[in-house]
Amino acid sequence: MERVLITGITGGQGQLIAQHLLASGRGEYRVYGVDRKPWPGRPREIRMTVADVGTRKFEDVVRRVKPDCVVHLASVRHFRVHPAVRHEVNVVGTKSLIDFAVEHGVGQIIVNSSSYVYGALPDNPYYMDESFPLSVSRTYPDVRDLAEMDMVATAALWQHPEVAIAVIRPVNVLGARVNSAIGKYLRREYVPTVIGFNPMLQFIHEDDLARAFATAIRSRARGVFNVAGAGALPLHAAIPRIGGTALPVPEIVLRTMVRTMFQWGLYPFPPGAIDFAKYQCTLDDSRFRETTGFEPEHSLAETFDDAHL
Amino acid sequence: MANSKRKSSKPTTTRPPQTSAGDGLTSFIEGLRPEFLQQIEEDVADRLARIPTKLNEFGYDPWGLDIRSVQSAMVAATVLYRYYFRVEVSGIDNIPDGRVLLIANHAGQIAIDAAMIGAALVLEAEPPRIIRGMGEYWLPTLPFVNEAMVRTGSVVGTPKNCRDLLGEGEAVIAFPEGVRGMNKLFSERYKLQRFGYGFMRLALATDTPIVPVAVVGSEEQAPGVANLKTVARLLGMPAFPITPTFPLLGPFGLLPLPVKYRIHFAKPMRFRGDPDDEDAQVKRKVAKVKGRIQKMLDKGVAERQSIFF
Repeated sequence: MERVLITGITGGQGQLIAQHLLASGRGEYRVYGVDRKPWPGRPREIRMTVADVGTRKFEDVVRRVKPDCVVHLASVRHFRVHPAVRHEVNVVGTKSLIDFAVEHGVGQIIVNSSSYVYGALPDNPYYMDESFPLSVSRTYPDVRDLAEMDMVATAALWQHPEVAIAVIRPVNVLGARVNSAIGKYLRREYVPTVIGFNPMLQFIHEDDLARAFATAIRSRARGVFNVAGAGALPLHAAIPRIGGTALPVPEIVLRTMVRTMFQWGLYPFPPGAIDFAKYQCTLDDSRFRETTGFEPEHSLAETFDDAHL
Repeated sequence: MANSKRKSSKPTTTRPPQTSAGDGLTSFIEGLRPEFLQQIEEDVADRLARIPTKLNEFGYDPWGLDIRSVQSAMVAATVLYRYYFRVEVSGIDNIPDGRVLLIANHAGQIAIDAAMIGAALVLEAEPPRIIRGMGEYWLPTLPFVNEAMVRTGSVVGTPKNCRDLLGEGEAVIAFPEGVRGMNKLFSERYKLQRFGYGFMRLALATDTPIVPVAVVGSEEQAPGVANLKTVARLLGMPAFPITPTFPLLGPFGLLPLPVKYRIHFAKPMRFRGDPDDEDAQVKRKVAKVKGRIQKMLDKGVAERQSIFF
């Protein structure tokens, strides 16, 4: 029986991965979890400890459990904390987790990164593969820690050739349980957009992403992988599909509006995020499909049908 | 009118058909629409229906093409094609099936030449094709332009986009003169400017036949008197042309003169060699394509009686 330790297990994606492993593995996996907050009503099979990644308590869990695989989902994606905290948790936390896990004989580490690390730039080609530079800090410096976290994990790939490290860069995740940035943005009643811009966005169903993680575990895939769902559609087609109304605003007005509202805590994203509503950041996922045999099960339409809360 | 008849005969309408002001206006405009426009709409729809596309359930292909946008753009282009530029085409049967790279001269301040070649491929090629344009790098940053470009089948001209589209068996058009050609001065008309080499490396790497295309007419449509490079740099534009009417009449000053377009398609050229050859090697192959286009241009210019007829 393989012991899988999931950090950030109480998040929507963590819960789905845990449940998917239990349901699909037929007793193949024993699932352990750590998170900052408890998971009331969790399935009995899941053993959980409330602890912060990087603390002694967390390290103790690793020593006791001796996981075969660590799935690292714990990261800060919101902007309600000081950037130093994001850096501490996302970059330093990931680095120390990988080092500690490797030191204690963990054979497989899967790190959840993001498609945002590539950045939304006007000269992005469609369907970028994993070799494209991580350019997000050029226009969206507030999330540079995500790119750094990704690079910490990819650096570990060559530092520890004996460990099956996989860095997963999923496209926009939608679903009823996962709390994704794109979900938060698209589920607004009025969705602010930039007049005259309508980029193609890729989406993956939260169940498909949970399956992708399970597939990565099972195949012991090693490397950096883009993970995408069934397809892409323009932002202005996605907004009414979720049920909202697009509110196209001239860019200069939108930037001022977003900057002010973000400073006052009235809008969840800093102005750098606007570029993702202007330019595409679409990923080529053929490496993951070819390495692991993964295929998304949910169509684009189903992904949107299931996105309603 | 056919439209209102169809509406009132709908079986679901049990109450007396309500006519709102908007409906009345729509059918009024419908009635005003001249016969020839309806004919064009049908022609274009018939031709487009014969072109296989890879649309998802929301009606978009992976590069953001939307057949409804292609239809409306093609109606406008066909009006220009038939009645304004009165395009004459020769050698269109030279376009082979499957992936092909069309290489043409570029002129006239705005990319009417691309639109007319695209219209020719829909209206006159057997079977009809939708051309995929390789856009200038600054086009994605322009509001509305970026979307119009993508919905009608073009993409920003990165090597990756070109390779992917050729991989799907598409007909891709590129203008290796780029801005150098587009904004050339009137005195430089029909003198091909320096060609980029990228298209040849891609053709070699993907084993794609090249069809040289010569457009006669476009180089007189908006005679450039000067190109103010400093102004262009300040405005972040690739060029700032001065023509007899631009910027004198504002953006409308870029509207082209009703020149007669003659488009010549040459027999496909096939090249073999290492796509990573040094520039000097690739240059020789590029020169062959450029020479073929220049020859067709010279012949076309010599044979015509008038710029306008």
